[in-house]
Amino acid sequence: MASSKASRLGEEVWKTRMDKVNAELVVLTYGTIVAQLCKDFDSDYIEVNKQLDKMGYNIGLRLIDDYLAKSNTMRRCSNFRETAEMIARVGFKIFLNITPTVTNWTSDGKQFSLIFDENPFADFVELPDDGRAQDELWYSNILCGVLRGALEMVQMQVEAHFVSDVLRGNDTTEMRITLIRYIDDELPPEDD
Amino acid sequence: MVVYSFYIFDRHTECIYSKSWLSPAPTSSSSTTTTTTPSGPTSDTHPPLPSSTTTAAPTAAAGTTGRRSAPTTSASSAADNDAKLIFGTVFSLRNMVRKLGGEDDAFVSYRTAHYKLHYYETASNLRLVMLTDTATLSMRNVLHQIYINLWVEYVVKNPLSPVEHKGGAGVRNELFELGLEQFIRGLM
Repeated sequence: MASSKASRLGEEVWKTRMDKVNAELVVLTYGTIVAQLCKDFDSDYIEVNKQLDKMGYNIGLRLIDDYLAKSNTMRRCSNFRETAEMIARVGFKIFLNITPTVTNWTSDGKQFSLIFDENPFADFVELPDDGRAQDELWYSNILCGVLRGALEMVQMQVEAHFVSDVLRGNDTTEMRITLIRYIDDELPPEDD
Repeated sequence: MVVYSFYIFDRHTECIYSKSWLSPAPTSSSSTTTTTTPSGPTSDTHPPLPSSTTTAAPTAAAGTTGRRSAPTTSASSAADNDAKLIFGTVFSLRNMVRKLGGEDDAFVSYRTAHYKLHYYETASNLRLVMLTDTATLSMRNVLHQIYINLWVEYVVKNPLSPVEHKGGAGVRNELFELGLEQFIRGLM
C-alpha cells in the first residue's frame, strides 16, 4: 500500500471509528505506572524497562486484533517495508494520533527506525534526578513491547528498543526495530 | 439461507469454539471423510432445529439418530472429530490455493451436493468456518463481521478472557454467544 494511501486510511479510521480519551488522562495514567514501577523496583531502571516491555507485549497481543478490525485489514503486508509504513501511519495514528517517521533502513530491509517528533506519553515528564535515570530508564519502553507483541501475532518476530529519547536530553526520540524472522504457520498435530 | 454450523480455530490449530444449529450431523466413519466425498448434513432428513444446541452440550446426544457408524462415540467427541477434520481440510485447501494462486490468494469456500463451507482467515491467523446450505452466497463478509463485531469486542477486549484460548477458555461467554446467536438468526 502506498504511504499516502496508508496515511489517508489512518486519518479516516482515527476520525470515524476510534473512541477518544483525554490526552492528559493518558499522560497521568502512564506516568503513574512508570513512577510506581520505579518505586516497586527501588529505582532499578533496567528492571523497570523490562517490566514496561512485558506490559506492552501483553497489550500488543490483544491490540493487534483491534487494529485489524478497526483498519479493516483483510490481507497481510507484502513486505517488511509496508509493515513499517502501516505501523507508523495507521497503527500509531489510530491509537495515539501521532505519525512517527520511518527512516534509517538498513540495506537488507530488515531494520528501521521510528523517529517520534511528538510523544503523547512524555508530555510534562521529567526523569528522576538521581544521576542514573537519564542513562538507564527508557520512559516509553512500553511501546517496544506493544510492537513486539502485536507483530508476533501476525507472524513476525521482531526486536525493538529505544536508542535515544528527548527526555534524556537527546535531540530526537528514536526506536530501532529489527525483523528477526517470519514465524511459520503452526501445523495441526499428526493423527494417531 | 440456512446456517448449519460454525467453528473458530486459533493460530495453534485448536478448535476453540463450535456451534451447531442442527441435531448432530450424520457422519460416516471418520476415515472415509475426504474433501471429494464429504458427508454433510442433508437438509431433507435433518432440518435445522428451531432451538439451537451447542455441540458440546450433553443433551445433543439425544438427537443422535443411530445413523452414526460408531454408536459408542459420544456426541461431543464426534463433534471434536468433525472439527479436526474440518480444520485439516481447510488448512490443506488454503495451502494449496496459495501455492497455485500466489501468496495473496485466499481460499473462500467450497461446495458439495449437500452443503457449502465458507472460510475466512484473519492476519492474526484466527480461522472462522461456517457451513451453510448450497444456495448461500459468499459469507466472507459475514465471517469478517463476526470477527470485528463479536470476537474483538467480546473476547479480545474482555479483560477476564485469557490471551490464549486453550480448550476454548474465554470464548464461550454470554455476550459473545448471545451476539452470535442474534447475528445468525438475523441472517436466516
